Amino acid sequence: MQRTMRRVARVTGALATAGLWTAGAGLVLMTVFIAAQVFWRYVLNDSLQWTEPAAVMIMGWFIFLGAAVGIREGYHLSFDVVLYVLPDRVRPWLYSVSDFVVAGFGTGMVIYGAELAGRTAGNKLPALGISGAFDFLPLVGGGALLVLFALERLARRAAGLSTPRFGDDHEIEPASDAGLSAAPGSEAR
Amino acid sequence: DRTLRSSDTHPEGYPTVAAVQYMGKLLEERTGGALCIEVFHSAQLGEEKDTIEQTQFGVIDMNRVSLGPFNNMIPETQVPSLPYIFRSVEHMHHVMDGPIGDEILAAFADHDLIGLAFYDAGARSFYNSQHPIQAMSDLKGMKFRVMQSDLFVDMVDALGANATPMPYGEVYSSIQTGVIDGAENNWPSYDSSGHFEVARHYTLDQHLIVPEVLVISKKTWDGLSAEEQEAVRAAAKDSVPHMRELWAAREAESEAKMREAGVEIVTEIDKTPFIEAMVPVYEKYVTSDKLKDMVTRIQATE
Amino acid sequence: MELWVLFGTFVTLLLIGTPVAFCLGAASFATVLYLGLPPVVVFQRLNSGVSVYALMAIPFFIYAGDLMVRGDIARRLVALAGALVGHFKGGLGQVNIAASVLFGGVSGSAAADASAVGGLMVPQMKARGYGTDYAVNITVVSSIIALMIPPSHNMIIYSISAGGKISIADLFTAGIVPGLLLALSLMVAARLVAIRRGYPTEPFPGLSALGGLLLNAIPGLILIAIIFGGVRSGVFTASESSNIAVVYALGVTLLVYRSLSFVDFVEATKAAVRTTAMVLMVIGCAAAFGWLLAFLRVPAQLVAVLADLSDNPLVILLLINVVLLILGTFMDMSPLIVITTPIFLPVAQAFGVDPVHFGVILILNLGIGLCTPPVGAVLFVGCAVGRVPIWQVMRTIWPFYLAALATLIAVTYIPALSLWLPGLFH
Ligand code: NA
Ligand code: NA
Repeated sequence: MQRTMRRVARVTGALATAGLWTAGAGLVLMTVFIAAQVFWRYVLNDSLQWTEPAAVMIMGWFIFLGAAVGIREGYHLSFDVVLYVLPDRVRPWLYSVSDFVVAGFGTGMVIYGAELAGRTAGNKLPALGISGAFDFLPLVGGGALLVLFALERLARRAAGLSTPRFGDDHEIEPASDAGLSAAPGSEAR
Repeated sequence: DRTLRSSDTHPEGYPTVAAVQYMGKLLEERTGGALCIEVFHSAQLGEEKDTIEQTQFGVIDMNRVSLGPFNNMIPETQVPSLPYIFRSVEHMHHVMDGPIGDEILAAFADHDLIGLAFYDAGARSFYNSQHPIQAMSDLKGMKFRVMQSDLFVDMVDALGANATPMPYGEVYSSIQTGVIDGAENNWPSYDSSGHFEVARHYTLDQHLIVPEVLVISKKTWDGLSAEEQEAVRAAAKDSVPHMRELWAAREAESEAKMREAGVEIVTEIDKTPFIEAMVPVYEKYVTSDKLKDMVTRIQATE
Repeated sequence: MELWVLFGTFVTLLLIGTPVAFCLGAASFATVLYLGLPPVVVFQRLNSGVSVYALMAIPFFIYAGDLMVRGDIARRLVALAGALVGHFKGGLGQVNIAASVLFGGVSGSAAADASAVGGLMVPQMKARGYGTDYAVNITVVSSIIALMIPPSHNMIIYSISAGGKISIADLFTAGIVPGLLLALSLMVAARLVAIRRGYPTEPFPGLSALGGLLLNAIPGLILIAIIFGGVRSGVFTASESSNIAVVYALGVTLLVYRSLSFVDFVEATKAAVRTTAMVLMVIGCAAAFGWLLAFLRVPAQLVAVLADLSDNPLVILLLINVVLLILGTFMDMSPLIVITTPIFLPVAQAFGVDPVHFGVILILNLGIGLCTPPVGAVLFVGCAVGRVPIWQVMRTIWPFYLAALATLIAVTYIPALSLWLPGLFH
């Protein structure tokens, strides 16, 4: 089981890295789009119609991908003071409840995001000229990754491996796949 | 005993909000209190695009919205949104109160909504900070804020000006600092936004006379008895004259205030070249035979 | 009953350590299921909640702040502050506070301020014989100033949580006087403690040295001018200003200071993604939560309850402040802004409080919460920077808490402190 999970971690680790880099590229792209908008408006005295909706859509991807990677790396805001006063053997169960909640919510993002995309697929987005479904794809993509990473946490815990604790300093370098079990902020400490 | 939740993005006291509240009062009286309406005003439940979806889901029961967000969804709603399609507000009333209006309301049924009535939103005209607009040549190269809609962007471009979509809240300072030259709106909004302070030239070209619509969720509708459905429809229709009175009063009040404030107003303007400039816009948006026929019938309506 | 489901689920999940975003999302999901409404509305609100143009200022300001810390802009601002106020009693303590005013003008984030200014000042203060507790106390509490001096992305979060109808330019302007007042009262507290402990002053470096340091810091100061001037004059939107801040910070650190390597750039980007995804996910989920609050008429009910208690706005504001201070000790700032704004703003407005004034009260109040245990992000950063346990800091922090609370009371009951300056621009 542990060996399987380590192998899984290599795949999910790669996915998380890809997610983070995509989100980072998204941030840079947003910067470029809005900078272009400013340049066109103030220097060229002309207006770009597509930069704002395009940047907003990229922001959706950026947030949901970043939030999903945050589940794997444990950098979400949380309030875990109560957990410290509880006995050690209770804590993993509560961590698992949290992971179930995240997985459940992620499932909702996928299912209902797809429903929203389906409903709006026939509309055309102003200025971008693409299907309205694109508005909701970040919800579906980010939700799928959330479910995957939450399930991985549950499986790792079942296998006796550690998972990063929520609410740790997000500046801590993300653990690579093998290092995940030895991350400084992990629950096992 | 049933309270219908209705959404509106305007604040308490705005004619549309007051009209739906009035409709609720009629409904309560006529159904002996079985049905009433609670208006969630000031966009408490979200912006129009979102509350339309919520009405389709049946999460909220009713919604007072502009036609703009429906344009890409229900082709029929594009027709009254076309520039210069109506010659005057009275012309718009004649069309929307007649069979063409009913036809457009019926088109909502394919989208989980039941169209109940059309409300007034006045006529939108251009205002700017530079110079009075007497003819189309005066618009050349000027930058106008428009609502985020391809149709309105194309309209402004076809008039030789430059369309700049931006959030409503940023328009004032953008005009003040010269980022844009002006915007377009009706009397009450020109007044309440304070834009008249920075854009002193208002030209009543009335390019858009787009009514607003009151819809009810199909899910809610299907849960009502036949008598209740009839009562809702009747109360909605009966709220229209009341709404128009409220709107006219509001508009007159704003217009008087603007004239008092010394805004330069151009009323006499030959709209013919403006209307001719719309030919390519109509060609782009009025594509199906059905819509073309509707345009012809509107133009033929007295 | 619906309210029990909504708040019960939220609080239970919060207590067992579920990330705040998902506490909000799952509580909304559960309540919608309980009400028999289509759950799709929760996810529509989530998506709409993050698809807001004005929200873009948050990743940009955070990104710009990260770039500036890594690219040496912060250090130069601290050096300038040292030359300006180092010769006052409590020397480096005063420098720490003045540096928060200057750096707060570019970062807009209390945590960034605590780590950037604290990281530079605390070791220096220790080396010069100041108590570690004193150094950390000042670092922690003075970083609230960063929230009040523009830009503050928390002010943007407040404006968006209030439905996007409150002018960001007005909020930015409204924070300046309270921010400077806070700096002043902290300087008084720093002075009093320094006198009691016999801390030294720094020699004034002379005008020519001051000039050199000023010259060095000019690119950072220009950034303050661009951001504030751009938003205030309305030439740029907050999103555009924050974007210019990123481009400018990149330009200065890559071309002028040549202090940012490619690795630094990648790390700053990744750090900005992590921070903003975390904050914006909370904002998105809070949009669903806030929708349910409106749907269930919570603010209207609360107004009725409070109106029964008192019809005096002064009492109502006191009650709201106490509730916020308590909540602030337990939770982080941005989730509290997005959760409490839709609840308390309508209440405050019903009692005649100006929404811009209320925003300043809210941000200052919750800023104090960042410095208090058990959950105080800035307190943690400060202790980490000073390498001291929290309890050691807590024993001597009270003069600074008192200074901050006194400022909060003044800001709450003297609306002109917040509203006078924006009024000048109208
Ligand atoms: Na700031
Ligand atoms: Na706290």
